[in-house]
Amino acid sequence: MRTALTTTVATTCTDPIILNQWHPLLPLDEMATDHPGTAVLLGERLSYQLDANGAPAVWLTADVDATPLPVLVEYLYVWTCLGSPPDELFAIPEFSEPDRRNVHGGTIGVHVSAPRAIENFLDMGHFPYVHTDVLGVEPHTEVAEYDVHIDPETNDVWATDCIFYQPRASTTSTEGQMSDYLYRVPHPYCVILYKTTPLFEDRMDVIALFCRPVDDDQIQAHMFLSLLDPDNSDTVIRKFQQGIFGQDKPILENQYPKLLPLDPRAETPIRADKIAIAYRRWLSDLGVTYGVIPVSPTSVSMTS
Amino acid sequence: MTNPVTLPDPVTLPDPMTLWHPVATMLDLPHRHIFHGQLLGREVAIWRADDEFINVWENRCLHRGVRLSIGTNDGTELTCRYHGWRYSNRSAGCTYIPAHPADAPARTICNRTFAAVEQYGLVWSGEDPIGEPPTVASLDDGTPFTLRNLPVNAPSQIVLDQLRQHRFQPVASLDTDDAEMTATEINDYALSLTSTGTNTAESSTVVFFVQPVDSDRSVIRAVLTEAPAEVAQLAVLRHHAAALGKLVIAAEAAAAQMPLPEPMQATINQVSLALSVMPEPMLDRQAPLRVQVARKWTTARDIAGFELVSVGDPLPTFQPGAHIDVHLPNGLVRQYSLTNGPGDTSRYRIGVKLEANSTGGSQCLHDTVREGDVLAISEPRNNFPLRRDSLRTVLIAGGIGVTPMLAMAQALKPMGLAFELHYFAQADEHLAFEEIRAGLGDAVITHVGLSPDETGAELARLLDGYGHANQVYICGPGPMLEAARTIATAADWPDQAVHFEYFKNTTEIDDSSSFEIALARSAVNLQVPAGKSILEVLRDHGIAMPSSCEQGACGTCVVPVMEGEIEHQDVHLKQSERDAGDKIMTCVSRAVSDRLVLDI
Amino acid sequence: MIKLYDYELSANCYKQRLMMSLLDVPYESVPVDFFPGLQHKTDEFKKINPLGHIPVIDDDGYVLWDAHAILVYLAAKYDPTGQWYPTSDPALLGETASWLLFAEGTTNTASAARLYVNLSYDFDIDACRAGAHRLFRVLDEHLWFRERDGRDWVCSAAHPTIADIAIFPDVVLSEEGGVSRLDYPSLRRWTDRVKALPGFSIMPGVFPMGTS
Repeated sequence: MRTALTTTVATTCTDPIILNQWHPLLPLDEMATDHPGTAVLLGERLSYQLDANGAPAVWLTADVDATPLPVLVEYLYVWTCLGSPPDELFAIPEFSEPDRRNVHGGTIGVHVSAPRAIENFLDMGHFPYVHTDVLGVEPHTEVAEYDVHIDPETNDVWATDCIFYQPRASTTSTEGQMSDYLYRVPHPYCVILYKTTPLFEDRMDVIALFCRPVDDDQIQAHMFLSLLDPDNSDTVIRKFQQGIFGQDKPILENQYPKLLPLDPRAETPIRADKIAIAYRRWLSDLGVTYGVIPVSPTSVSMTS
Repeated sequence: MTNPVTLPDPVTLPDPMTLWHPVATMLDLPHRHIFHGQLLGREVAIWRADDEFINVWENRCLHRGVRLSIGTNDGTELTCRYHGWRYSNRSAGCTYIPAHPADAPARTICNRTFAAVEQYGLVWSGEDPIGEPPTVASLDDGTPFTLRNLPVNAPSQIVLDQLRQHRFQPVASLDTDDAEMTATEINDYALSLTSTGTNTAESSTVVFFVQPVDSDRSVIRAVLTEAPAEVAQLAVLRHHAAALGKLVIAAEAAAAQMPLPEPMQATINQVSLALSVMPEPMLDRQAPLRVQVARKWTTARDIAGFELVSVGDPLPTFQPGAHIDVHLPNGLVRQYSLTNGPGDTSRYRIGVKLEANSTGGSQCLHDTVREGDVLAISEPRNNFPLRRDSLRTVLIAGGIGVTPMLAMAQALKPMGLAFELHYFAQADEHLAFEEIRAGLGDAVITHVGLSPDETGAELARLLDGYGHANQVYICGPGPMLEAARTIATAADWPDQAVHFEYFKNTTEIDDSSSFEIALARSAVNLQVPAGKSILEVLRDHGIAMPSSCEQGACGTCVVPVMEGEIEHQDVHLKQSERDAGDKIMTCVSRAVSDRLVLDI
Repeated sequence: MIKLYDYELSANCYKQRLMMSLLDVPYESVPVDFFPGLQHKTDEFKKINPLGHIPVIDDDGYVLWDAHAILVYLAAKYDPTGQWYPTSDPALLGETASWLLFAEGTTNTASAARLYVNLSYDFDIDACRAGAHRLFRVLDEHLWFRERDGRDWVCSAAHPTIADIAIFPDVVLSEEGGVSRLDYPSLRRWTDRVKALPGFSIMPGVFPMGTS
């Protein structure tokens, strides 16, 4: 029998904002020297392999000349670009701190657009309901007022002074705590969370989601962690993180439309959604059209 | 069968959006289940409430577009899986947003609903249906018996084409294959087939309704017009399941020969302008506490008891007679007296009477607030303080007015001070908080079912003979308080010994005057125009003013007055306080003179 | 105490966690870095299971692998009622075995589709999805007729068996692999009933029933 849900033709990207970004392909240590691998980015099939010196090479699979695409190795991943990439990727200074555990938490495929996944990562209100007894629990459901701003130098979107009660905030937690959160969006399809750790008063754990857009409604979500956790194995850290993401996946896949609607009249915000609204407006201001439903030019513009 | 398939010209068909279509069977709606269905490209969430109402809702939470069909149905509400928003049976209105107990929008967030009618064992609905679901005489006259409904990966018109050539046996002769079939078209999505046995002449009729799920998907909903005898039912069901199974294969094969059509796109309405705007933050910190409803129970007819425990820091202490503001999930704020005795500080206990003409407050607490919900409340305010040095205290409670009286009685009892609590109620079933009254023993005297005259006589008896250091506290309905006021005055009770608490101010407020107020301490002069209260004017000018009931009953918004003649419109101040003219309830009272000087 | 070599997102490991939760049997979950570490393919792990897959249990030295075999063992050993794996009723036992093999089918179709989407396994996704739908159609009709008989479970008894537990995770997680259950209302009612079993426990991707 045939169903409409069989493999469809991928939507190739014509959005210059997205084409000219670095995108995370896969972890460096999953590339081999002796045979090429393949992955899809923005609807294009790419091939990749380590050369004799151990440096990654990426090219369009259909390109018989295998013209190398731009490549960057950062934060454990090989990043590439189908257009003209920025000079640098966004900075995460914590990565270089000597006592950090930099862990690739795993890559999970999700049938949803990257912006929907980013927005879910920015949301606290779902903690008691989706990550029950771990990141949140009733009756501690209130999302207190927090601040949102855009960094004038980097143009990153930030949410600060976020606070939420968490029964089991991380792999190092032994009891409930009020977690302080900072959220940062430095890239349309990447988001970083800074979170209080029970081990240090003035330093924070870093947990990030770097999405590879396979298609406008399909992603491979790479989970990157830079933690202050001397004791737990990578296996335990991965179990915790994949467990959390595994709980988000069916929520994301049950949202529609799959593309993130940028029109303010599309969905109903509450105050807890301040960072999500800022993110949508930021995507509109950047001119992103891939993975989103842009505000139509004829719709009434909303002034805040 | 390999007849060439031609799809009917779509222009000649009536708009399917205006028709009724079957979307589920009654079997699909068991207790606490949410059925995920789809009609003409629109996903729906269908659920049956405990009151048997069948809800057909757009399968999409208005917040972030998550499917409601993955949520939970608890018999009265559907809870969205993502953020726990709750939506009410029938209205599909949002009744609770856990992320913001204090920011409940006074705006209605309603999911989109569609009509639902049960007929022939099926649930019928439509995008925008006109009239009634189609009636079929053979089903109306017979005993409809639902067969197993089958999904098909084929458009409805191909399915109907196949059905026109469908064969099955009548109930009486399932094992042979000799029946003659006659087909009757009912409408563009339904036809009836009658199978007549050649030997027995017995016939069976099945009505086939085809639900258009999407451009290439349907559900065949088949109903036998006469229910077979119990012993034959299984065989009949199996027979039809097998026959339709073959039809499904044929229909899918026919559909596979056509190019895959575009899926139908259901329109998702824009959110209203009001709901699309981020609500303002609650800067007014009048509800700083967060409590969870630890217990909700029926303590008397139409009276619900609530026990509220802190979600954060320990609850503040309170005086007997104190009340709290409760911010409700529907955006309203209501005041309730604490019934707690002294030392009972782990939870606040209140009683809420369901008002016959509820403006939404008591109704919300009765109908949609449940155990486990988080509410924002104020700290306790005590505008009805109890003297604990009286030689004799008479507490008089009418109806729900018993709540502050219970707190007072529990405070007086351990101090060994003489008191009586006279509790007036319409009937025994209206007497609330039995467990508290039991602990007070003989000190509580109930007066049940008295007429107004009898009540007056009893009040006169209770208020007869004022003695030194006697106090009386009265809380109840307006007429009872008025009667008590009159009786107490006539019996020479001094003003300071009689304390009334009004839960409501039912006097009509006249805000037609305009006057000036001078704020002595800030050297500011402000104009109070008609239609605005002093409280509103002060707040408009950025002056933080406490308030609670905002109708002149509770006394919270009181401000001292230095000059000017006050027009009292509240029910809180005693006569002696009114006469003294040095206090004003800023939420309702105004000025007789052109100007008031306020000591703020 | 039973040791379960376990992976949080594995449907087959969940079958064991669920069974032990329903049987109220305590166990120690030993996390295996299935992904991305591929720990189950290491020589070290192959000393535990030479086939290099999970779940594996180690019950005080007794080592067993294969998801459905482990269910047989757990039920046979730890179920005092003898209902989950009904050895005393040959007909019912036969049914249970038959549906366990059906569960092999759902593993190789629905759960394979999920591994393709989630973890980029190299499978023929169209074949997996088509295969899942074929099996779900059969199961939906089967369960519909069970309901007609006033029965709630895959086998004909009035109580569930390990067959229900073997099939349930593959079904309830099917949407992650792109296999919608919109066409299978009986299947969906059955998953509700499984979730209502006393001792039921969830895994990431499975939602609990409401509390009322």
